Amino acid sequence: MEFGAKKETVAPLEQLPRPEPKRRPKSSKLRKAKWKQKDLEELKKEVVMDDHKLTLEELSAKYAVDLTKGHSPRKAEELLIRDGPNILTPPPTTPKWVKFCKQLFGGFSLLLWTGAILCFVAFGIQSYFYDDFTKDNLYLGFVLSIVVVITGCFSYYQEAKSAKIMESFKNMVPQQALVIRSGERIQINVQNVVLGDLVEVRGGDRIPADLRIISAQGCKVDNSSLTGESEPQFRSPDFSHENPLESRNICFFSTNCVEGTARGVVIATGDSTVMGRIASLTSGLKVGRTPIAVEIEHFIHLITMVAVFLGIIFFGLSFALGYGWLEAVIFLIGIIVANVPEGLLATVTVCLTLTAKRMAWKNCLVKNLEAVETLGSTSAICSDKTGTLTQNRMTVAHLWFDKTVHEVDTSEDQTGKTFAKDSDTWLILAHIAGLCNRADFKAHQETLPIAKRITTGDASESALLKFVEQSYSSVAEMRERSPKVAEIPFNSTNKYQVSIHLLENSAQPYVLMMKGAPERILEFCSTFLLNGQEHPMDDEMKEAFQNAYLKLGGLGERVLGFCFLNLPSSFNKGFPFNTDEINFPMDSLCFVGLISMIDPPRAAVPDAVNKCRSAGIKVIMVTGDHPITAKAIAKGVGIISEGIEPAEDIAAQLKNPVSTVNTRAAKAIVVHGSELKNINSQQLDQILQNHTEIVFARTSPQQKLLIVEGCQRLGAIVAVTGDGVNDSPALKKADIGIAMGITGSDVSKQAADMILLDDNFASIVTGVEEGRLIFDNLKKSIAYTLTSNIPEITPFLMFIILGIPLPLGTITILCIDLGTDMIPAISLAYESPESDIMKRLPRNPKMDKLVNNRLIGIAYGQIGMIQAVAGFFTYFVILAENGFRPVDLLGIRLKWDNRFVNDLEDSYGQQWTYEQRKVVEFTCHTAFFVSIVLVQWADLISCKTRRNSVFQQGMKNKVLIFGIVEETLLAAFLSYTPGMDRALRTYPLKIAWWFCVTPYSILIFVYDEIRKLIIRQRPGGWLERETYY
Amino acid sequence: MRRQLRSRRAPAFPYGYRHRLDDQDEVNQNYLADEEEEAEEEAQVMVVPNLVEEDEEEKEEEKEEKKEEEESQDQPAGNAWWWKLKIMSEYLWDPERRMFLARTGQSWSLILVIYFFFYASLAAVITLCMYTLFLTISPYMPTFTERMKPPGVMIRPFAHSLNFNFNVSEPDTWQHYVISLNGFLQGYNDSLQEEMNVDCPPGQYFIQDGDEDEDKKACQFKRSFLKNCSGLEDPTFGYSTGQPCILLKMNRIVGFRPELGDPVKVSCKVQRGDENDIRSINYYPESASFDLRYYPYYGKLTHVNYTSPLVAMHFTDVVKNQAVPVQCQLKGRGNINDVINDRFMGRVIFTLNIET
Repeated sequence: MEFGAKKETVAPLEQLPRPEPKRRPKSSKLRKAKWKQKDLEELKKEVVMDDHKLTLEELSAKYAVDLTKGHSPRKAEELLIRDGPNILTPPPTTPKWVKFCKQLFGGFSLLLWTGAILCFVAFGIQSYFYDDFTKDNLYLGFVLSIVVVITGCFSYYQEAKSAKIMESFKNMVPQQALVIRSGERIQINVQNVVLGDLVEVRGGDRIPADLRIISAQGCKVDNSSLTGESEPQFRSPDFSHENPLESRNICFFSTNCVEGTARGVVIATGDSTVMGRIASLTSGLKVGRTPIAVEIEHFIHLITMVAVFLGIIFFGLSFALGYGWLEAVIFLIGIIVANVPEGLLATVTVCLTLTAKRMAWKNCLVKNLEAVETLGSTSAICSDKTGTLTQNRMTVAHLWFDKTVHEVDTSEDQTGKTFAKDSDTWLILAHIAGLCNRADFKAHQETLPIAKRITTGDASESALLKFVEQSYSSVAEMRERSPKVAEIPFNSTNKYQVSIHLLENSAQPYVLMMKGAPERILEFCSTFLLNGQEHPMDDEMKEAFQNAYLKLGGLGERVLGFCFLNLPSSFNKGFPFNTDEINFPMDSLCFVGLISMIDPPRAAVPDAVNKCRSAGIKVIMVTGDHPITAKAIAKGVGIISEGIEPAEDIAAQLKNPVSTVNTRAAKAIVVHGSELKNINSQQLDQILQNHTEIVFARTSPQQKLLIVEGCQRLGAIVAVTGDGVNDSPALKKADIGIAMGITGSDVSKQAADMILLDDNFASIVTGVEEGRLIFDNLKKSIAYTLTSNIPEITPFLMFIILGIPLPLGTITILCIDLGTDMIPAISLAYESPESDIMKRLPRNPKMDKLVNNRLIGIAYGQIGMIQAVAGFFTYFVILAENGFRPVDLLGIRLKWDNRFVNDLEDSYGQQWTYEQRKVVEFTCHTAFFVSIVLVQWADLISCKTRRNSVFQQGMKNKVLIFGIVEETLLAAFLSYTPGMDRALRTYPLKIAWWFCVTPYSILIFVYDEIRKLIIRQRPGGWLERETYY
Repeated sequence: MRRQLRSRRAPAFPYGYRHRLDDQDEVNQNYLADEEEEAEEEAQVMVVPNLVEEDEEEKEEEKEEKKEEEESQDQPAGNAWWWKLKIMSEYLWDPERRMFLARTGQSWSLILVIYFFFYASLAAVITLCMYTLFLTISPYMPTFTERMKPPGVMIRPFAHSLNFNFNVSEPDTWQHYVISLNGFLQGYNDSLQEEMNVDCPPGQYFIQDGDEDEDKKACQFKRSFLKNCSGLEDPTFGYSTGQPCILLKMNRIVGFRPELGDPVKVSCKVQRGDENDIRSINYYPESASFDLRYYPYYGKLTHVNYTSPLVAMHFTDVVKNQAVPVQCQLKGRGNINDVINDRFMGRVIFTLNIET
């Protein structure tokens, strides 16, 4: 620690990036960017300041301020103009239109846009060079554009909705600050506070800026949002620590003063405060792409490769077949465009939205749609302790009286066991805890459960108050019966608190009660209580006391001792007690017991941690709190599992330095922030790799960031949970930042991608589950959607190569992609998992892709081919029944598509006009379309599972059944509705034509079932390696 | 150098600490062997308390460390493209493991064989299906003919356009019509017709009962029926005099019989514009109809010599030097000749533009 501090703090104050906006902005944009980069690097370093080391005189000189009168109003105004208002620069918000454009042109949309542009190009070529051309390409281009725009609007709307919920979190109440200017105390808006201002704070206030305390009375501040310490900290004018964050004489902007009063000089305002630095570090961080975005890009690469590959092959082929340049180019474009899965963008968006909805319903609000899946890919969770794993509320955890440790239920809803309450010692202990206590409930909360009521006063005292109220009786009544007559409040030098109460109906009317640091309390005692009987203090008792104290302290708990003395009857009623010059005995007290408190873990956390573990997710605790507390909580929630000793403990037992402990023998390790300071990134990687159970304690926000970066360097996908400002840089940097909705600070919520509305860590498990499920189901959805691409492309290819009439037209392709395939594909998002997804390892983002060669192989090479054959069979059936036998179709294309040939002969010698044969052709399109719908039935049922048999999985997915019915009805509607022949050129089919594909549907189903059967029977076998997607 | 290579290679590794942990031993051993000083330093990570004492040493080492780190970071950034290219080429052909597109020869042959069998069986299935299809389809009679009724109409000469533009005084402009007509009418030569076909009684259907696969006889339609438009008397079919002949035929449909024994008549008139633009048309045969004896048609397999009946329109007096749109319709019961979509169903529209 010392070492690190030395190294860091030598830097002179002048090097601090103290932004002075008036002087900066004239630089060019480029330099600005550079400056920003440097600035960010600067921000990543630890806080450097020396104000806490200065004497009051030096301080007064430095800020040119009178420490009693403060600034003159004029000077304050000047400073305000120079430094700007005391507010945090809000993170640069992206304008709405930029967000919208991102939706329009990001990721998948780009593919569709390319397709649309190619279509327009093809149309341009056609209309320029040919008199007689179809407008299909034009329509297709428009449809593609419309699809992108609609989907873009949809997802924009979705995200805007979550953004709205975010808005509601914002605290709009303007804060006031009490400053002393020209000797007068005036109330001003916090934003008008300037450097060097003399500020007074009282219990309940929010600290208006970074303050150097010059005087304080019992001042305590809650730094939990900045440092993660769950206990309020004392503040006094003394310089107590090299590290400004730990020095007692500094208060930090936007932390809370819990009790007492203090006066201080403002040493930093706005963005240059410690809090401001963290906030600007957070907003300056660049965020990586979400895993799903990476997956989608990979998918686009694959699809593009396939499309270009096919396109070029057939480009060459069409030359070889004697087509002209222009035709070949049109074909090339046609083939490339045909590979674009028009409906997939919408499908993926809807699937993600559905999951986001489901998660929001389970209290996980997802800010960014793509982040829905990220939790599923997560392989490491870096969790903050305070407020995330714990309740951020001191609670009584253990009692020690009658030489026994009693455990207290600390869960939020008080369902656990109780302890022995029949001992007399307990009664007395409860009385002392209730009476020698300055905390009180705020009014009008009788309806709330005790644990939820708001109290005034110190956290430990509140804990005691609630504890007594809960497990003994009403404290208010108790206090009424035994009113307080005198009191010595707690202070850090005494380390005890004394109060004297009047007892009714007693020979000795007064009782003195004392609580405080156990070792101090023991010094006052000469007797102790055992089962209500007073016994003289002996060594045995002292040893028992020591053991208990050590044991409870070792659990990371804050221990208080309690004792009392019945004042002799010489103190009559009305005796004037004087607490300044003590006029009553304060020795030979009777020791009662110990009460220890902790910020207890949330009830659901251990189970959740366990589930994450079994799901192969490494849970790392990263906290600003002390190592002992951190370790205790880590053990309590299972981050360090039972029976496993951290490296230091092993070292301590062996009485060897930690270095000698075999790093691989110790699964667990607790790393102190000061150690972390001296570690380079490789060493950090070593720690992260070699230990499975890691706790980082006393970490600064910057270090949290480093830890996240370390995990990411190792290839992990990192989730960070946190609620405080100190977590926000890590939240932003993480692949998915998860903030707490109730206790979380605004900054952390802004930085996060996901918000747990109920603050329940267990919701993360839900998130992981949903994320993994949606990843699996997206695979299925994509496999399903891609399959129909082959029966959509092959007709065009055959049209080129064999010169047959076009078997499937653009309109019918769109009917499939944007009509019949949509709901079934979306319905796969409702599919239930095939196995326990929480029992397997997180996916490996390098190997386990959303869309891989195997998926393409299955969809394109196998099922798709069967579907294409099915479609062609129907096509040949219809043409043959109408007079065109397959053999006679070869090479008929030119005549067939010639408008002026109106006596085209068929296989029977009959002659057809152009329109007549086109009607047959469009009937074929319709039939081909219907065939695809019907074989997609089988494909849908096959895609339900990737490994299991459908018979194991069942048909419980109602949406899927609805999807099947819907697509069939839609197909029938398109075919049979009068007027469709003119609107979409779809024609009624003869009933028999619907059944042409039945053998192929059965073939697909049987083929895939057999494939999956073999995969199940031979895990790791060839078929699995080649076809399991 | 080795170190640089490794650090650049790191992303290509199978990701993840878990996966790395499996390889940990191997990697670590390399690591230790490579840079012993560094390994020592790593051990010190845990020796935080000792660090204070080894302050000086540590600082020096740290400097070195930083230098190295910088180097190793700079390298891949500069060569990102080169590196990508290398990965690509390694993907295409990896000489170390002898892999093409991430597959070895063995793996390629296996998957190709499997796909071959897969597609072979698929081919077998479709063959079977097609075979079944042909079992259900008669070679003599199409299963459905309703899509082609009413019959379409087509005219001759046909030269990729239905606009007859020609200048009477310039034979080059109409010569191709004459050639086309002559060619078309070769099959109607009287001698050929008399030799091949029978002279069947007019005014009634020429129904030939018997087995489906029996060869059917065809009725004669002689070129001479067309009189002035037969090209026998006027070998220019009237084009040289500005009185063009246009032949009209009805599309063949197997089994088609004009309704209720009324022969289908042809009637032409100006489609839009002044009706008097065409002052007279002569039809050959004079009835301007397709005689019933040419129906029904039995399909090309058995009705080999079937000759489609024709009606010739002789536009003897058409306004010259302007485009005259002409519509010829089939008249008769059950004939639809005004479908907007299909301009050749039961009618035909063309323009005459005769210049003098």
